[in-house]
Amino acid sequence: MDLLAQILINGILLGGLYAIMALGLALVWGVLNIVNLAHGAFIMLGAYLSWHLYTYLGIDPFLGLPITAIIMFALGYAVQRGLLNLVVRGPMFNTLLITFGLEVVLTYLAQLTFSADFRTINPPYAGNSIALGPVVLPQARLMAFGVAIVLTLAMWAFLLRSKLGRAIRATAQNLVAARLYGVEPRHLYAVTFGIGIGLAGAAGGLYGTVSQINPYIGAALTAKCFAIAIIGGLDNPFGVLVGGLFLGIIESLAVLYIGATFADVASFGVLVAVLIVRPSGLLGKTA
Amino acid sequence: MSNRMLHLAGALLAGVAFAFSSGAARADDIVLGASVQLTGASANTGRYYKDAYEFAIDKINAAGGVSVGGEKRKLALKIYDNQSDVNLSVRQYTQLVSQDKVALLLGPFASNFALADSAVSEKYQIPMVQGGGASDQIFSRKFKYIFGTLAPASNYFGSTVKMLKELDPAPKSVALLYADDAFDVSVANGTRPLLKDAGLTIAMDEKYSSNASDFNSLLSQIKSNGAEVVLVAGHETEILNFVRQAKSLAVAPKLYSFTVGVPSEDFRKALGADADYAFGMTAWLPSAKLKDKWFGDAATFAKDYKAKYNYDPDYHAASGAADVEALAQAIEDAGATDPTKVRDALAKLNLDSLYGKIAFAENGQIDLPQTVIQVQGTELKAIYGANGFIEKPKYPMPAWDKR
Repeated sequence: MDLLAQILINGILLGGLYAIMALGLALVWGVLNIVNLAHGAFIMLGAYLSWHLYTYLGIDPFLGLPITAIIMFALGYAVQRGLLNLVVRGPMFNTLLITFGLEVVLTYLAQLTFSADFRTINPPYAGNSIALGPVVLPQARLMAFGVAIVLTLAMWAFLLRSKLGRAIRATAQNLVAARLYGVEPRHLYAVTFGIGIGLAGAAGGLYGTVSQINPYIGAALTAKCFAIAIIGGLDNPFGVLVGGLFLGIIESLAVLYIGATFADVASFGVLVAVLIVRPSGLLGKTA
Repeated sequence: MSNRMLHLAGALLAGVAFAFSSGAARADDIVLGASVQLTGASANTGRYYKDAYEFAIDKINAAGGVSVGGEKRKLALKIYDNQSDVNLSVRQYTQLVSQDKVALLLGPFASNFALADSAVSEKYQIPMVQGGGASDQIFSRKFKYIFGTLAPASNYFGSTVKMLKELDPAPKSVALLYADDAFDVSVANGTRPLLKDAGLTIAMDEKYSSNASDFNSLLSQIKSNGAEVVLVAGHETEILNFVRQAKSLAVAPKLYSFTVGVPSEDFRKALGADADYAFGMTAWLPSAKLKDKWFGDAATFAKDYKAKYNYDPDYHAASGAADVEALAQAIEDAGATDPTKVRDALAKLNLDSLYGKIAFAENGQIDLPQTVIQVQGTELKAIYGANGFIEKPKYPMPAWDKR
């Protein structure tokens, strides 16, 4: 029973990390209709950025998150204005190709710049844990989980309450009507993509603190984020949070009951099941 | 370096890898071909092989080259980047033998690559000496043209299990975790009977997916079943995550040991103080006792290698350099570069090298004892070898909050 409780806790905390990684992907996908295959590569860049901030400037990875996010936001804004905007009205296939190309370029640039050495962001408290009776809560994961909740709430409030957020949602729902109301889509798309990449950067900082960084972590993370976005749905940041938690718990239980090689089978099996049963996601509106 | 930059830029822009050689090959050079992981998930270990091949070839050439029938000839290297993709590496080896017409082959890194690529060397009957694949599967197919300079995967934990019996207090139960690839499955299959013979209880025997990043569930199970020893056969990224997550879940068995990572400098650097107490094994230590025709001895090799490439060589690098030396010696013994003659010379080879004695068994693999090593503080120490303890192990591992 203790074991099951521990595994559930592990799953929930893992899910929080998953959710924060997928938030940006889901936002960009929902608003720009771009499945950003380079999302994982941006997470990787964010991780390296946090690593540099921590290693050379001594900035704590959690305190450094806003810095990482702002720099990554600027990068995302530039990439959207300079590159993706060229194909934003093109067929979906073009955006897939260009983001795939971007992921290859970023990955190889990362190897050239940072080498293939493994890095970890390892502040003294990274390995600490809090014991609650027989159950152990890893501190860094708990903090990452907290950040995930805060960011999800902030995203939700931003999209629902702020003027910019409303403009983003309006553009996603009806571009023509939004333009008639004075929304400038080019700037708005770039801001949205920038926010998505900023979130990816923040997720990278957290990922580097609980896991390890090398130039090749991106592709697997993109796949996972993709699954989470589909499971959770694109309409609502809470959907992504639920999708992440769901996936984290499923994977942890699969390791316990079926076997460790089946973790990915379970998570992508859930993806297929959700696509069949609730194509617009667990929290999505049913058609 | 500029070669490599050029190469990577090319791969980037065109999406096609093209080859670069170490120095321009002249017509009478003996060209050795290889496809190695220079980019992709295994690039970290792949570079040991590229650097070791170049290092050994340059050294041999600086000494005048190899004598073939009374004439000195230089070696050249033709190396491709397989981008950590097995299918690409098979195509590249096919290209090396069928289009580039290289004389002889050096191997890739990792068992699953060597397993697939050795089919090419066998088909074209060109010997491949590889120092990157240890899985017993590679050598169980009665192939004639594949030679391996890593000790058999099945025996990686052999010396560790022997050591376990001599520890005080002796551990009783063991958890065995392994990734689902050729090398790690061979390790697990070889370790299981060793554990049983040693009278140890296997509390957990679990396979996980290669490149898994979350070990929290497995670690929680280890904590719950109380395994005193944890043996993990996997890849460096997995081991890094395993150790970090063990700490964050406060899981501290009396001893844990890993097939990879511990001998590598950048692995220890990435973990920092958390690498302390980790056990591993190596078939090679840079000892001055290992005499070598070209480098003098293994200690000199390690010193010069570090000076040139700015990182410490581990057994992968030594094994790679030994591959070049084995081929060079076999060419001299055969007095020709004819693949069949070199193959026969390799089968009979008995060479003392910086890596140890290279004498291939009937199946093409060499046998070297594994020395148990442990990270103690910031140092890597040899703990247990063929003749018992070398240094006192730090055992049992204390709880994480008592370090």
